[in-house]
Amino acid sequence: MDYAFLVALLAASVRIAAPLILGALGGLISERAGVFAVGIEGMMLAGAFGAAIGAFVSGSPAVGLLLAVVAGSLIASIVAIAVTIFRADQMVTGLAVNILAFGLTSFLLRGLFGGRAPSIRLHIFGAIDIPFLSSLPFVGPILFRQSALTYAAVAIALLLHLALYRTRAGLTLRATGENPEAVFAAGNNPIRIRQLAVIAGGAIAGLGGAVLSLQDVGTFTDGMTNGRGFLALAAVIVGRWTPLGALAACLVFGAASALEVRLQGFNLPVSSYAIQMAPYLLALAVLAGLGRGTRMPQAIGQAYRVG
Amino acid sequence: MKDPVALGPIELSASEAGAPDAGALFQRLGAHNGLRATGRAVVAVLLAFAVTAIPILISGKSPIAAYWALLHGAFGSFDHVAFALNKSTPYILTAVGVALCFRAQIINIGGEGQIAVGGLAASWVALNCGDLPSLLAIVLALAAGAVAGALWAGIAAVIRLTRGVHEVLSTLLLNFVGVLLVSEALNGAMGEAGAGFPQSPMFDEAVRLPTLFSGYDLHVGLIIALVVTGCAQFLLWRTRFGFQLRLLGGSRAAAAYAGVSFAGGVIGVMLLGGGLAGLAGGIEVLGVHYRLIEGFSLGFGFTGVAVALLAAANPLAVVPAGLFFGFLQAGALAMQREVGVPSSLVYVIQGFSIVFVLCAIGLDRRWQRV
Repeated sequence: MDYAFLVALLAASVRIAAPLILGALGGLISERAGVFAVGIEGMMLAGAFGAAIGAFVSGSPAVGLLLAVVAGSLIASIVAIAVTIFRADQMVTGLAVNILAFGLTSFLLRGLFGGRAPSIRLHIFGAIDIPFLSSLPFVGPILFRQSALTYAAVAIALLLHLALYRTRAGLTLRATGENPEAVFAAGNNPIRIRQLAVIAGGAIAGLGGAVLSLQDVGTFTDGMTNGRGFLALAAVIVGRWTPLGALAACLVFGAASALEVRLQGFNLPVSSYAIQMAPYLLALAVLAGLGRGTRMPQAIGQAYRVG
Repeated sequence: MKDPVALGPIELSASEAGAPDAGALFQRLGAHNGLRATGRAVVAVLLAFAVTAIPILISGKSPIAAYWALLHGAFGSFDHVAFALNKSTPYILTAVGVALCFRAQIINIGGEGQIAVGGLAASWVALNCGDLPSLLAIVLALAAGAVAGALWAGIAAVIRLTRGVHEVLSTLLLNFVGVLLVSEALNGAMGEAGAGFPQSPMFDEAVRLPTLFSGYDLHVGLIIALVVTGCAQFLLWRTRFGFQLRLLGGSRAAAAYAGVSFAGGVIGVMLLGGGLAGLAGGIEVLGVHYRLIEGFSLGFGFTGVAVALLAAANPLAVVPAGLFFGFLQAGALAMQREVGVPSSLVYVIQGFSIVFVLCAIGLDRRWQRV
C-alpha cells in the first residue's frame, strides 16, 4: 500500500465518518439520559430529507441545514413524548419512528411536488483547506482538507465531551441515565431532561442526515441513510457511551466503508455486494468482541415514574 | 393456572442477561384481556389514519378521496382480494414468529434479513432440484427457506447469549447483510444472464406453489400461514415450551427459579421466529414471483413487527392484523394508480399505528397499576 493510497483512504474515512459521528452523538445524548436511541436512523433520514428539500426549494444550504435540524427534532419529539409521557417501550418506539420517517420522507418527496419525485441536484459543500494546518504532511490532507460539516461533526464531539464531563448540566444529564430518582431528589425533573435530551439528539442526528444529502450525495433518495443510524448506534456502544469513544468508533466504521469503496476498483474474487457487507459485519464483530465488558447507563430503557 | 406475571416484582441485575430487559413490553397481555387488546389496536389504527390525513393534506390531496381509493383498491374485485391475501401471507408468518419472541421479551426485528435468506435458500433448491416430484420439491424448497431463516436468527441469538450484544442491534445489522447476500447471489451464480435486472431465472412449473382457485393468483401459502398460526397458538398456550416462553417474558428471575433456561428459551424462540420468517421468504418466491428478485423482502420484516404489536403478541390475533396490513398494502398500490397519492403512505400509517399501540400499552399499564 503506497503513501498516496493510504492518505486518500484515511481522508475518505474521515469524510465518510462525518454523518455517523453526528448520528452517534445524537444517540449518545439520548442514551446517556436513559432513552435507547434506536430511532436515530429515522431521525437521520428525516434530516437528510429536510436538508435536501430546504436547499432545493430555497436555493440556500443554510435553510437546508435549518430544516434538517427541525425534521430530526420532530421525529425525536414523537419518541420523547411516547417514551416519557406514555412510557412506551423505547426500542420498539425507535423502530416505529424509523418506519414512519421512511414513509413520510418517501411520501412527501412525491406528494410535495405533485405526485412525482423531482430530480434534486444540490451543490454539495466542497472541501475547505484550513490555512497552515492543511499543508502539514500526512495529517494535513487527512484532517484539514475536509468539508464544513465534517469539521462541525468533530467540533460537536469535542464540545459534547466538555459539556458532559465539565458542566453541571452534563452531570445532570448523565445522572438522569444512571439514577433518575437521585436527579429528582436534587430538584430536577428527569422527565423533562429526557425529553430535551431525546429532542436535542434528534436535532444533531438530523444534521448528520444533512451531511449525507448536502455534502456527500447532493440529492435525496428513499431510505438513503441505509443503516447508517444503526452503525451510529453500534458506535455509541463500542465507544462506551463517551463522545470521544464514539468518534473513534465512527472513524473505524468510516475506514471500513472507505476501504470498501476503494476495493471495488481492484479485481477481487468477491463481488461489490460482499464488500458492501463490511461495515455491518465489522460493527457486529466489534460489538461481539467487546462482549460484556461494556457498561451501559444503569437506568436506560426504564420509564421514570414520579413518586 | 396463575398468571406468571403475578409472581411479583423480583429485581434483576442488568447484567443477568447481558443487557436489560425489553422494558416489560407485554407484561399485561394475556388471553384474558383480548377485548382490551382489540380495542387498543382499533383505536391505534383509527388514530393513525386520522394523523396520516395531515401529510395527505400537505400534499394537496383529499384524505377522504385517498382513503376511499385505498378501500376500493383493497376490496374492489376478487383479483384485488387475492392479491391482498397473498400480500398478507408473509406478514402473518413473520408476525407469528415475532409475537412468540415478544412473549419471551425478545425483540426480533430481523425479519427482513431472515425472509431474504429464506427466499434465497428456497430459490436455490427450486433451481437445483432437478426432476424431483413436484410436492417433494416444494416441501424441500420451503424447508430450506425455513432452516436458512432459523439459522440467520440463530446467529443473533448466539451472539446475544455468548457476547451480550442486544438482539435489536444484531438483527438490524444482519438485515443489511442478508439483503446483500441476495444481491450477491443474483449478481453472481444465481442471476439470470442478460436480464438487465438482478433476478434469477424463472422456476419450473413443478416447484411453483399451486393456486387455490384456477384462474386466480391466490396461492396455498395462506393456508400454510393459517395452519402455522394455529400451531403457534397451541404451542404458546398449551405446551411446556410455550409456558416457559411466557414465564421468561414475565420474569426472568422467576423463570430461573423454576429451572427454565434463559439460553434455551432465547435459542428456541429465535430459531422458531427466524424459521417462520424464512418460510415466508420461501413462500413469497415460490408463490408470487416464481423467481428470486432483488428487494423482494423490502419492508416485510418491519411490517411483521407492526402486525405482531397490533395483535398484542397473540398468534390468533395475528391473522386479522396481518390481513389488515395486507389489504392496506394492496389498496395503497391501487390508490397510487387511481388518485396519485404515493403508496409509501402505508409506512406512515404503519409507523403511527405502532407508536399509538405502544402508547396505549404504556397507558394501560399505568391505569392498571393505580
